[in-house]
Amino acid sequence: MDINYAELASDTVLDDRSRFLRALVLDALEGGGRGHLSSALSLLEIVRVLYDDILSHDPGVPLLKSRDRFILSKGHGCLGLFAVMTDHGYFSKELLKTFCNFDSKLGGHPERFTLPGVEFSTGSLGHGFSVGIGMAMAARLKQEKWRTYILMGDGELNEGSVWEAAMHASQHKLDSLTIIIDYNQKQASGTSDLIVSLLPLTEKFISFGFEVSEVNGHDVSDLANKLKKQTLTNGKPKAIIAHTIKGKGIVSAETSSTWHHKAKITKEEIRILRKELQIQ
Amino acid sequence: MRQEALATVHELARKDPRVLFVGSDLGAGTLEAMRQELPKQFFMEGISEQYIVGFVSGLAQEGFIPFFNTIGTFITRRAYEQICIDIALHNLPVRLLSGGGGMVYAPLGPTHTAIEDISLMLSIPGLQVFAPADANEMRALLEASINDLRPYYIRFGKGGEELVTPNFVNFDFMPKVFDSKESEIVICTTGVMLQNCLSARKLLEGIGKSTTVIHFPYLNELHMANYLKIMQSAKNIVCVEEHVPRGGLFTQMLHEFVKLRIGIDNLSHISLPNTFSHNYGSQENHLDLHGLTKEKIYTKILELNNSVINDVI
Repeated sequence: MDINYAELASDTVLDDRSRFLRALVLDALEGGGRGHLSSALSLLEIVRVLYDDILSHDPGVPLLKSRDRFILSKGHGCLGLFAVMTDHGYFSKELLKTFCNFDSKLGGHPERFTLPGVEFSTGSLGHGFSVGIGMAMAARLKQEKWRTYILMGDGELNEGSVWEAAMHASQHKLDSLTIIIDYNQKQASGTSDLIVSLLPLTEKFISFGFEVSEVNGHDVSDLANKLKKQTLTNGKPKAIIAHTIKGKGIVSAETSSTWHHKAKITKEEIRILRKELQIQ
Repeated sequence: MRQEALATVHELARKDPRVLFVGSDLGAGTLEAMRQELPKQFFMEGISEQYIVGFVSGLAQEGFIPFFNTIGTFITRRAYEQICIDIALHNLPVRLLSGGGGMVYAPLGPTHTAIEDISLMLSIPGLQVFAPADANEMRALLEASINDLRPYYIRFGKGGEELVTPNFVNFDFMPKVFDSKESEIVICTTGVMLQNCLSARKLLEGIGKSTTVIHFPYLNELHMANYLKIMQSAKNIVCVEEHVPRGGLFTQMLHEFVKLRIGIDNLSHISLPNTFSHNYGSQENHLDLHGLTKEKIYTKILELNNSVINDVI
């Protein structure tokens, strides 16, 4: 029987750690008074599992040569990345609260040069995958063992450069490369099937030569298991389609498209978001 | 020039494992010798410039020095954002080897003629922009580039250009002056227009008009302050470039003159027009149409030199 991952994602009850990370997201959002909230909540468990269980990384030595490379190609989801990096000790909670301030190191999209630990500056969609292929190729050329992970949004798959990259990842048989799709099926203007349908998404990546897994993108066990079970030597790049809920964990963000990106966020709105997070 | 460039990349790759060659479906036989000898440093990717610029950026981020070659318009127009963000924002040592600068691909139509490439590339912060004149200068530039980890854009000519710059010299980013003396006429140029300007100079000197040609292979910084004496003693200064009127050498000259607070009322410009061409033929046909052949440059300069007040074109 086919598993309905989208339904599982919707039904998943977040644990304390996921709620704590969401609280950090809200701290940053409050500090900046703006941000892509619902996108960050969509990908939070993916980033959490990567940093907790999958990536080889050292917050004390962000540019450790042997680290795994992770690119948040969907740069506008950076509130989620910043929350996880804060929790891992890359920077302080005080810095998190300066999000989007004029002289902060944390802008509305992640930047390599301002923030140690960010692998590549992103923001305009459709860049990270190609750059990640270059990094994975570099590891192969240097015979180093580190792996490359790229997290993309499903709306990002509208970009033609993504499919150029997909063909070449497969052509080069880059089995040390994993792309993860934050598949919440919503874009800024509506559901992805109404804007440009991605279906059949799994079959698309299979036909491009990828080893494909589907996962409940809010189930940390499922995510960790699928990421750990990837075959390393089959000559195929990996695609993980993570079914997620945009705005997961905060009902306003789940139900209102205005939280895709919002500016001039008031204290009262933050108070309501925090309250909704507590009763999730 | 292109052959020399590719051969130089091969030689550099032999000596330095960081050097990679990346092409986008450039045709069978391109750098075949390198592909055979150094297969791990040779990549012939698909027709996908956006991807390739990202790909070479990822490689450069990890310590490689990729040389990416394809037709200039496909680099500068198709992959502009990738050049801005992936290469320039990250200040990565990628070398963009841009084939067919100016009207080289005139017979293939306006999709292939890189008439505004220098303008586009100069507008990107941190990107170093070059238009060498011949194979000697190209070789010197590429060899020097190994010791400079900034991003480069390098405009190629058609190939087979007459050698007019010295062989076996170190590329030093400085303009080349033919010859440094006070002259009635100063011609400023870049890239493969140098040969036509030197030929025009010969014609001018043949009728007693002293002429100095200054070639600017490096376009970000013209070092114009070094040439003020030559400029200020000239009756006419003429900028000659195979590029649209705005954003190229002429614009750079104006910027430097303004910065130096130098008023120049005898500066003229011979360039391609600010239009897409819908004619085909050869590069030479177009250079002739727009006054960029040696004869037309000579004639135009004579015309300017003989008039009391020059109009800036």
